Amino acid sequence: MDTVSKSNPLLLWVDVPRVPAVKAFEKAYPNIPVSYSTLNGSASNTGLEEKFVLFNRVGSGWPDAIFWPGNSAMAWATSPQINYAANLTNIISKKVQAGYNPVVAAQCMLNGGLYCLRNDDAPDVLWYNATLMKEWGYTVPKTWPQYEALGIEIGKQHPGYYVGELGDTYAVERYLWGSGCPTNDLTGPNKVYINLNAPTCTRAENMIDALQTAKVLAPAGIFDSAGAIAGAKLVMSPGAAWWGVYLFEQTFKVPKGEITATDPLQWPGSPAGTGDEGGGLWSMSSHISGQRQADTALFLQFMATAPAWQVDLSTGLPAYGPDQNAWITKNIVQSGYFADPSQIGPAMKYAGTIVRPNHGYLLYDEGALWTQVITPVVAEGKLISTAWSAYQSALVDNAKVNGYSVTT
Amino acid sequence: MSRASGENGILSSPGEQRVVKGEHFGVQVVAVAQRRRRGPRRRNISGLQGRSGLLLVAPYVALLLVVGVIPAGYAIYQSFLARTGSGFGGISGYKDAVTEFQFASSFAHIGLVLIVWLPFMIIGVIGLSLLLHGRRSRLVGGLRFIYYLPGALAGMGNFVLWLFILDPTDSPVKFLLSWLGYSSLEQVAEPAHLPVIIALMLFFQGAGTWILVIYGGLNGIPQDVSEAAIIDGCTPWQETRRIKLPLIRPWIAYFILINIAYASQLFLEPEVLGLATEGAVSPQWTPNQLSYTFAFQLFDVPAAAALSVILLLISLFIGVIITTRTGLFRNVE
Repeated sequence: MDTVSKSNPLLLWVDVPRVPAVKAFEKAYPNIPVSYSTLNGSASNTGLEEKFVLFNRVGSGWPDAIFWPGNSAMAWATSPQINYAANLTNIISKKVQAGYNPVVAAQCMLNGGLYCLRNDDAPDVLWYNATLMKEWGYTVPKTWPQYEALGIEIGKQHPGYYVGELGDTYAVERYLWGSGCPTNDLTGPNKVYINLNAPTCTRAENMIDALQTAKVLAPAGIFDSAGAIAGAKLVMSPGAAWWGVYLFEQTFKVPKGEITATDPLQWPGSPAGTGDEGGGLWSMSSHISGQRQADTALFLQFMATAPAWQVDLSTGLPAYGPDQNAWITKNIVQSGYFADPSQIGPAMKYAGTIVRPNHGYLLYDEGALWTQVITPVVAEGKLISTAWSAYQSALVDNAKVNGYSVTT
Repeated sequence: MSRASGENGILSSPGEQRVVKGEHFGVQVVAVAQRRRRGPRRRNISGLQGRSGLLLVAPYVALLLVVGVIPAGYAIYQSFLARTGSGFGGISGYKDAVTEFQFASSFAHIGLVLIVWLPFMIIGVIGLSLLLHGRRSRLVGGLRFIYYLPGALAGMGNFVLWLFILDPTDSPVKFLLSWLGYSSLEQVAEPAHLPVIIALMLFFQGAGTWILVIYGGLNGIPQDVSEAAIIDGCTPWQETRRIKLPLIRPWIAYFILINIAYASQLFLEPEVLGLATEGAVSPQWTPNQLSYTFAFQLFDVPAAAALSVILLLISLFIGVIITTRTGLFRNVE
């Protein structure tokens, strides 16, 4: 099993958007045979962990490398029971490791070891439709209260347009992580602090309530078909760096020359910060060694750093620092799609340095609970505050069931 | 309808003469039918047949052992282990399962599905079977085929088809969904709607096959019994109520039993809906899903096994009630 051959190729699991990356690798390394399977891209990872439990039971079947569709998978992939993700500290070259800004790599650092390489940096910036903003004479907001006020104004003046979407797993990261709300604060080994009544949470709750009342927050999620329809009607929205190409251009199909991004919205009186929506992670199996391990490491390194994928094909800002400028030049400045492209790159790079700390990935996914508890309520047209205590209970109950000791 | 109440109803004399006559007639007919069924069976039983019967049933018994009895025994054994996987854990697995915060809600969900689905299924299936049986024309063959079609689609394909039907952006009946005010799959598949959605899925998945089963039961009613009833002035409704339904009672009981068993093991439908709605349905919506979570996410195998044992006990209890109350497997004497 430690050698790689045609009959025993590298086994790779990726989500659909990462398939071109695998193809690029095959082209660059034709002598390494690979075989890949596509994963359900849902960030909540439903059903994924179960496969690893079964592999562990039979002692074989693990993919050599995997792209995690949701970042919270790192919590169980490194747990003693699953023990899948290998510690990369001594497998990946130091030069590559040094290419990551510590804020960006933080999601892969567990107990002092590096357990994944980040595919893309996904800090939230403020995306907006420059054409509409200009046509309607609005000033681009810099703070969340300004965003709220402008949202209410848009609701009055231009009904049918939106300033955000609420129904996807990442909405919790955009709005609550972005506000520093303790949904996932790991305060020690197996200790979490969850308090949706903290002021950093209630200010976001009140803002969402007000924007829902103004009918400018779509109840759909960015990944579903109704969300794509609402997405084409977004005047502005907080959203990750990958929203530009992946959502606005490819999914929402907003015409070119309209969309741009600027610095993330801030809460007055709080330190600068923003949320983060995924930014996929690459891990490799801890069950391989020898040539297979070396080839897998080569694959991981290629995925995380090679311009053939990261610059030429990836829709997200590369997490690997040395690739960022080239990606911005090619995909933002020269692509011809964006309005005011020169302001987008600096906004993304700045946002990447201020992602709020203390957001641990836990054995359950807070985004999955959001879509179970919050999404149905907002889909019914009710305000988010009516589901607030239910969401708190869901977070606390799941934390307890998963063995965390919880303070609230 | 239980056997006892049916007989009581016949013995007490309701007001109208014609009805009394019909009911009286019903008793006679049942008696005739039972004699007919009993006759040949008694005559033919011999040692040789008993042995060949055992031989015929042996493959089934072997399968039952491998996929039914042994796994159930293993689950019972596992449910009493300690969470660490070795050593006796007493009832801690059961305690973990019952005190899980979603335990009660998962059973409530199944109860809701049954409340919506079972009456719908019983009335729909029996009603359509009776209508089909009432028609004696060339149409019947075609109708039978049409009823059978949805059930013939493989389970998973059927559910994927449902996902398209339910999604207002892709649905062939989007006019209906938008008339109801829905614009996204999340709105359609919100938790409060799930019992109805799952009931509809299950109905279209299963009804066709069960119509054929019940229709087969109706075809088993001897022609002369029906003819005798009609000659005696039995109306179609009386024929249905007093002759057909009592005679196919074992089929109906079997149908209800199997469907309750299916509903109590619901897994696929809510799981697929959860995936399609990007997680709007809890992955612990039914007890079986909760059991799966215990086994594969919480690594609490005893609790997962305990939950399976609880489900088994509930199913057995319902099964015993139905078989003893309806005489499903009782030899007619």
